[in-house]
Amino acid sequence: MLLMKNVQKSFRTELVETHALRDFNLQVKDGDFVSVTGPSGSGKTTFLNIAGLLETYTSGQYFLDGQDVSALTDRQRSRLRNEKIGFIFQSFNLIPDLNLYDNVDVPLRYRGFGTAERHQRITQSLERVGLANRMKHLPSQLSGGQQQRVAIARALAGEPRFLLADEPTGNLDSQMAQSVMALLKEINRQGTTIVMVTHDPELASQTARTVIVKDGRICSSDLPDPIPAVSNQ
Amino acid sequence: MFSYYLRLALQSLRRNPYLSSLMTLAIALGIGASMTTLTINYLMSSDPIPHKSKQLYYVQLDNWSPYSAAREPNDPPDQLTWRDATQLMSAAKAYRQSAMASSGAVIESGNPDIKPFLASLRLNFADFFPMFDAPFLYGNGWTSNDDDKRVPVIVLSKPINDRLFGGENSVGRYVTIENTQFRVTGVLDNWVLVPRFYDVTTDAFQSVEDVFIPFYFKQTLQLSNGGNTNCWKSPEGEGFEAFLQSECVNFQMWVELPTPADREEYFNYLNAYAEEQKALGRFPRPINNRLSDVMQWMENEKVVADDAQIMMWLAFLFLLVCLLNTVGLLLSKFSTRTSDIALRRAIGASRQAIFTQYILESALVGVLGGLFGLILANVGLIGIRSLYGDFISELATLDFTMISVAILLSILVSILAGSYPAWRACSVPPASQLKNQ
Repeated sequence: MLLMKNVQKSFRTELVETHALRDFNLQVKDGDFVSVTGPSGSGKTTFLNIAGLLETYTSGQYFLDGQDVSALTDRQRSRLRNEKIGFIFQSFNLIPDLNLYDNVDVPLRYRGFGTAERHQRITQSLERVGLANRMKHLPSQLSGGQQQRVAIARALAGEPRFLLADEPTGNLDSQMAQSVMALLKEINRQGTTIVMVTHDPELASQTARTVIVKDGRICSSDLPDPIPAVSNQ
Repeated sequence: MFSYYLRLALQSLRRNPYLSSLMTLAIALGIGASMTTLTINYLMSSDPIPHKSKQLYYVQLDNWSPYSAAREPNDPPDQLTWRDATQLMSAAKAYRQSAMASSGAVIESGNPDIKPFLASLRLNFADFFPMFDAPFLYGNGWTSNDDDKRVPVIVLSKPINDRLFGGENSVGRYVTIENTQFRVTGVLDNWVLVPRFYDVTTDAFQSVEDVFIPFYFKQTLQLSNGGNTNCWKSPEGEGFEAFLQSECVNFQMWVELPTPADREEYFNYLNAYAEEQKALGRFPRPINNRLSDVMQWMENEKVVADDAQIMMWLAFLFLLVCLLNTVGLLLSKFSTRTSDIALRRAIGASRQAIFTQYILESALVGVLGGLFGLILANVGLIGIRSLYGDFISELATLDFTMISVAILLSILVSILAGSYPAWRACSVPPASQLKNQ
């Protein structure tokens, strides 16, 4: 479960303090497929970065799979990211001079798996996204949709509990976007919790739950869950 | 993970060959210059007889003027008088001992095809050869009895034996010096001493002498003085014998004292000898005798020239400049990798992992720079050999130790150069970088 309670994120410059998130409360249960939508600058990506432990927050509480992340060291946060979270980005973020196999291999290397285990996971992940026959290709030899599939394979290879997707179809045409969306739904059906930031109301409508963020706050959630009381662990 | 980081480092170097070559060249130039000068210094200051350098002692007695020291601040002269050298030899208080001097004379072989030629001479005692582990190709040195009875015997260096006897075993044959026939008792094999520590009073990096004859022939044949001759007062009288009985110093002396107790005993003997000479009206200064082992004596005589040390430090400053250039190049290189770093951080790499990856890349540049630097150092040493001639050819070579030092130094400076850029790389905030793409 992913749980945020009264999370605030503010940036202070010499002249002004900007609040990116204010009193942000959200619970994402295991197996959910949640889309987060809202206008530009509303705080969607900041939320996703905090959820993915890429940024810290100013105040409030954030529990990832029951663990309070506020006091974790860089190494612990990196470990947690590696083991429990998979990222999918709008611009795919594949490493251009690594072939598909080696791109999917990157998070597994940091996980410390042996050669055989890595090979099995890479092969399975690429098979799952339908690109097992192209594992020696470079990203530049693939279409945008295929590149995003590789990014999904990389995110899935570590078998994470959560998949965080930031505008995963933003750089794709509608046909490819639907194909990627279908893949994400399939992954969700198999048990992975997905949080997807998107501008696209049509894609948002395909998820089980939609959260609308405005001015750093959740202004609408179509399945409001009561936030449970969580004690510090 | 090491092999993975190494693979990434190789990929990164290949990705930008121009920048990689520049970095390697910067390190190589610094290492090349440093290793050239360091090698010269290292070999100049190396122990020439390591297994017994703590048992061989150079003897100094202070027979100098009452008004000023032979060498400031209060050092005794660096050589002995004939009188002191011969009297210490006669006392024979050490396990081995040899007074010695350098000279020169014309040598004739008796072969009409070989013209007489001027050769460098070392006048020494029988113990000289075993004391300094002189290697013999044929025969041996002479005996103490030959010394005492002034038997005309000679040991030839290999080049001289090649010249006079075509490299044959010449033991038992004769050569003529100053109309005296000397019987060959031995021929030395190639004997390379760097430095030529047994006599560093003039130039420590000369080759060993052409021939060796018993010390007392200095007096018998009235041979000229080689090296430096210093006097604090003029000889009393005229002629060669007056010089030998004067307070002029031109003779060196080494003793072999296997144990600290032997050294102490010999030092006490020297002090007693100096007191005895004071009673005879000599040695007007306070007792100031010295026994220096090989390395102390090399240090005392500043065998490693000051300008060689200055060159070495200048070369290290140059290495520092190269290092700073490498820092700039690495910063530039790593700054183009922020998206890669941000992505790796996002999918599980800790700051430490990123730092290690980039430090290893710097170290790899160091290895390449070190190997290329070794080639440049060799070129530098060839240049020095061509500039300074024969004697330095013994010095100007890279041995295994110096090759290892070059590689390790290169890796060390590369890691130093890479530390700040690697730290900058691992401090890249992943969220903002991923957002900017």
